[in-house]
Amino acid sequence: MSNPLSAKSEDKDKIYKPSRATRLFLVWKKLRRSTLAVAGFGIVLVVAIAALLAPVIAPYDIDWTGSSRRPPSMEHWFGTDARGRDMFSLILYGARISLYVGIAAVSLELVIGLAIGMISGYFGGVVDEVLMRITDVILTLPELPLLIVAVAMFAVRSIHVIILVMGVVGWPFMARVVRSEFLSLKESTYVEAAKSMGASSWRIIFRHIMPNILSTIIVIGTMDIPWYIFYEATLTFLGFGDPSSPSWGVLLEKGYLYLGSQWWMITFPGLALLFTSLGFNLFGDGLRDALDVTMRR
Amino acid sequence: MSESLLNVNDLKTYYYLAEGVVKAVDRVNLKIGYGEALGLVGESGCGKSTLGFSVMRLIRHPGRIVGGEVFFEGEDLLKKSEAEMRNIRGGRIAMIFQNPMSSMNPVYTVENQIAEAIKLHQEIPKDGIKGKVVDILDKVGIPSPEERMKDYPHEYSGGMLQRAMIAMALSCNPELLIADEPTTNLDVTIQAQILELMKILRKEFGASILLIGHDLGVISELSDKVAVMYAGKVVEYSDLTGVFEKTKHPYTQALFESVPRLDVETERLHIIRGTVPRLINPPSGCRFHPRCDHAMKICSEQEPPLFKIGKKHEVACFLYR
Repeated sequence: MSNPLSAKSEDKDKIYKPSRATRLFLVWKKLRRSTLAVAGFGIVLVVAIAALLAPVIAPYDIDWTGSSRRPPSMEHWFGTDARGRDMFSLILYGARISLYVGIAAVSLELVIGLAIGMISGYFGGVVDEVLMRITDVILTLPELPLLIVAVAMFAVRSIHVIILVMGVVGWPFMARVVRSEFLSLKESTYVEAAKSMGASSWRIIFRHIMPNILSTIIVIGTMDIPWYIFYEATLTFLGFGDPSSPSWGVLLEKGYLYLGSQWWMITFPGLALLFTSLGFNLFGDGLRDALDVTMRR
Repeated sequence: MSESLLNVNDLKTYYYLAEGVVKAVDRVNLKIGYGEALGLVGESGCGKSTLGFSVMRLIRHPGRIVGGEVFFEGEDLLKKSEAEMRNIRGGRIAMIFQNPMSSMNPVYTVENQIAEAIKLHQEIPKDGIKGKVVDILDKVGIPSPEERMKDYPHEYSGGMLQRAMIAMALSCNPELLIADEPTTNLDVTIQAQILELMKILRKEFGASILLIGHDLGVISELSDKVAVMYAGKVVEYSDLTGVFEKTKHPYTQALFESVPRLDVETERLHIIRGTVPRLINPPSGCRFHPRCDHAMKICSEQEPPLFKIGKKHEVACFLYR
């Protein structure tokens, strides 16, 4: 070392450096500190496995029919429905559709919300003004009636129509959060420093600001998944669903008719919905703490 | 080509607020020669940082450069396109900031960020970049740079981060380095180290420096010339000895009297009476006259131009008419 100012303590500085994989492990280690977060992660994992491996795990095919309206027993853990199908298998297959609805709608929300929030927050001015007024209008309208009207406008009853409508109705909150993050981060010294090094606007948006709001986006996305699963179930329950995709909402709608006598038909899909929602919320909460880069020390 | 590297003529940068127009930089003239270091001193809010950002054309809304010229090697930066400016920023003019702890992006390693700066301005084969990062970090005195460059900014101390920032700024051999209070947030021993480092690097890289600060001691360490700013105006401009030993402007004199001294026993610290005027509605005439002990009738009526009183000494005060 030629520089007289260089410190000499080289050996002391050989400290442990985590690799990328280890860093993921560190997030997990932080997540593990909270029992509730681990419970949430466990539930999400169980639901995800149930959805992915439904054809393997399910004891009966969804088309299989036996004697109808049987109460829970060893053969049919959650009983059978009005058409004699196995409720447990139906719930497993329903997880596929419900989870798909949640993830697809969140993805749509992310794309729209991120684009609008980022343009609004970073560029500001008239564009921001116009975009935010549109956002306000959507936020002012009550969600459920808006969803019902929007779904009813389509001639086809399809799960994809529901996803599309929910994503289009659901983005304003994400856009608001992304916008506010952009507003504060674009003023930060490191963005200033990046600009002073000659970085372009797009480079600053995607390379310097986006990674810093990633954890916020992941947390909101995680917490919004059950929200969409719930709304799909609600829409289906109210008769705006897609009967050809047996989501948990469809099961609830059918089970509702037997609420007084065959309680298992509505209870088990309801519980599945409840636990999934709880799981995603707990997991999202835990992630919020675990993902904070600057808090890793 | 002009004889100076940076030539600021009649620069005006105003902030358009709801309450009115803040003339943060009002018809300022400055020159920085090749290899020269200019110290820009003044109280907080006198427009010195705004001047630095104006040269980089990084003034944010609601601020705007409304007039003047900024010649950099004979070319007016204010007439450049945004794309041309991006090439100049970082490549030919670089900047370091007041708060090193927040000047680096927390999600990338130090190596990653310096490499990005190099990639933006230089055509270097991929495998050459890493060596360059190690080199420059070694030059600024980061111990075992090959290891430490893989650290995240929060794993560095404030002093080390400022070294890393200097490394990033110098990575593309800029001709001008704008240092906006580079030592303000560091403690005194680190301050001395950073100043020492800047002195060494100045010799090695030969870059001109615009050193912005309010600490007269820091300014005197590094500068060849000094410009004193008050309320958006340059009030005194001279070489180092001119300002520090033959201080002329009443404001500059008052500034020096306000510096706490250990060798003289005093009851209280000297203060300049009054406060820096709000720039939305600055005092008429000389902006310092309401606080000046030598104020005359003309001071409130006319704005003093810069009077040349020595070979390299200019003062904006009617006392030296």
